[in-house]
Amino acid sequence: MLDHPEIAADSRPWRDPAARPFVRIRDVSKKFGDVTAVSGVSLDIYKGELFCLLGGSGSGKSTLLRMLAGFEDLTTGTIEIDGQDMAGVPPYRRPVNMMFQSYALFPHLTVWNNIAYGLKRDHLPRAEIAARVAELLKLVKLEGYEARKPSQLSGGQRQRVALARALAKRPKLLLLDEPLGALDKKLREETQYELVKIQEQTGVTFIVVTHDQEEAMSLSTRIGVMNQGEIAMIGEPHDIYEFPNSRFVAGFIGSVNLFEGVVTEDEDDHVRIRSAEAGGDIYVSHGVDCAPDQVLWWAIRPEKITLTRDRPDAEFAGANLIHGIVEDVVYLGDMSVFQVMLESGKRLRVTKANALRGDPDAIGWDEPVWASWSGNAGSVLTS
Amino acid sequence: MGELEWQCRLGADLMTTALVDPAPPSPPWRPWGRLRRWLALAGFSGRWAVILPPLLWLLVFFLVPLVVVIKIGFSASIVGQPPYLPLLTFSPQGDVQMTLHLSNFIFLAQDHLYLDAYLSSLKIAAISTVLALFIGYPMAYFIARSPDRLRNMLLMLVILPFWSSFLLRVYAWIGLLKNNGVINNFLGLFHIGPFTLLYTDFAVYLGIVYTYLPFMILPLYTNLVKLDGALLEASADLGAKPFRTFLSVTLPLSLPGIVAGSMLVFIPAIGEYVIPQLLGGPSTLMIGRVLWDEFFTNRDWPVASAVAIAMLVAVVAPLLFLQRAQNAVVER
Repeated sequence: MLDHPEIAADSRPWRDPAARPFVRIRDVSKKFGDVTAVSGVSLDIYKGELFCLLGGSGSGKSTLLRMLAGFEDLTTGTIEIDGQDMAGVPPYRRPVNMMFQSYALFPHLTVWNNIAYGLKRDHLPRAEIAARVAELLKLVKLEGYEARKPSQLSGGQRQRVALARALAKRPKLLLLDEPLGALDKKLREETQYELVKIQEQTGVTFIVVTHDQEEAMSLSTRIGVMNQGEIAMIGEPHDIYEFPNSRFVAGFIGSVNLFEGVVTEDEDDHVRIRSAEAGGDIYVSHGVDCAPDQVLWWAIRPEKITLTRDRPDAEFAGANLIHGIVEDVVYLGDMSVFQVMLESGKRLRVTKANALRGDPDAIGWDEPVWASWSGNAGSVLTS
Repeated sequence: MGELEWQCRLGADLMTTALVDPAPPSPPWRPWGRLRRWLALAGFSGRWAVILPPLLWLLVFFLVPLVVVIKIGFSASIVGQPPYLPLLTFSPQGDVQMTLHLSNFIFLAQDHLYLDAYLSSLKIAAISTVLALFIGYPMAYFIARSPDRLRNMLLMLVILPFWSSFLLRVYAWIGLLKNNGVINNFLGLFHIGPFTLLYTDFAVYLGIVYTYLPFMILPLYTNLVKLDGALLEASADLGAKPFRTFLSVTLPLSLPGIVAGSMLVFIPAIGEYVIPQLLGGPSTLMIGRVLWDEFFTNRDWPVASAVAIAMLVAVVAPLLFLQRAQNAVVER
């Protein structure tokens, strides 16, 4: 429909088992002395993807990125980029460019010379360098800033120069370390869309490191959640949010209500979990790979729960229904957050979109309420 | 009745007045405040307390001697005590007469010894500065790139020579360089030499570079240690090999350090007296030695002062140039 290159966001190559990955990371570990920064990471990234490595500080995401760029040696494992093993290849020979967290713009060079730096290293003809730099300045909307020094630019402008410089050599793979981290919130939101647009226009494969889950959700084709040097989950933003594979992932992305329980019924088409924390049964309307009497966890997002004053009709033979008292209501404008104190002493977080203006019938403080949800609203977690 | 009422009201008024307007409290006695107020009236403020000591220092130890030297420089040499004519003479009628002798400066311009000595000093200082830069830069770079703990030790080693007397260290070089000194004795074991090392220009260069090397290393180190490692990584990432990165990133960014270090070596080297006197040969011509000879051997104070003034001007000129170069770098 558009004349932009075919991108991974449309074709979703990771769903095709025959697709050839562009970046192949195999059993990669990195130790700094006794500290293991990255351990046993295996990851396939496909051409044209915008892949986010998401994790807290010290999760090893930046180290992994630096290993891709060639700034850190691998303790074990291999990294292949476009079919070529990167072992022993110095940074200046890799088909990879990086946008640094601090931007690392050369303070003694003008914007023009910063962007042209990599092109000059390739000894391109002057006219071609000039044309390419002009094209990039247009791409990042910095025409007229050629002669400025980085110190004469705002934070957002520096970020765009850094992006243009990293894109200048038309790398096969662009690594971005917290690309929006230094921008204020409003600018960050604007720049997110710019970044996605530029990625779609250029068709370059992006690997973005971020600690901001919202940024990861809105940018990426797929997210790799990292925890303590390991990949906790890889998936599309939707999968990561709706079908987390562990308590860590469920808790790291968005907010979640987590209940520990025991399997009482394990059928092909449904599972019933008895949870003392929830103060009742949880009915899951699909089969789960588990054993009877197994202890597991059930996670539900706050927006998937409905609050009512009156007891709703029992749909799942008394399951998926808990009684509690509203302890706190936080009005956030677009939605309200309810803190419901359950009889078990656990607090339940429920959000409700404020669809009506000044709703007179809104549930308030200290009201007894019933919380209910559908059979497939939550995720069953075994780890 | 009315009178009583009036009296009561008066009493109440008095009472309220007493309650509302108590006697103003006597101001606390603050002697410093009073002193400060007087000083402020006299035009002094806290800033003066800070500015005055260095100002007095410069006045007494720099400006006054300078004026004295300039005064002698415009006088004429006589045999006597002091060995120059007074600048100002008072006639019995009370007239004041000032006599400025320009002959000293004309003499400096006519005798090419002085120009030669100046140019020779300039050459020796310039070559020494370049040598110190080429030796000091890699050392500063290495120290700045070493791990923290090693770095402090290496810096300590650079500063260590300052703990012993400068003169002692120069004398030590005599012991090393002389014909039957340590170096020639060592080479003699292999039946090489002896070489004439002492009392040559080589020994002067060696002495100056050795003495002033820390002044080159320290400003370079403070500059290089601030260099952001991410810039070097960015350069490598964009395809620059290590040497290219050095030329395009490290070197231009360390230019302020190079200028500062070069100034700290060049300026004292140009007027150096002790090193050429102790290590140099009779042919080593330096302005500092000429000045010394003029003053103590010839006892011609006016010419010596003229040499000093000429040298001051001649040193300030390249200094201003370097200063401007540094400012240009800082601005960029």
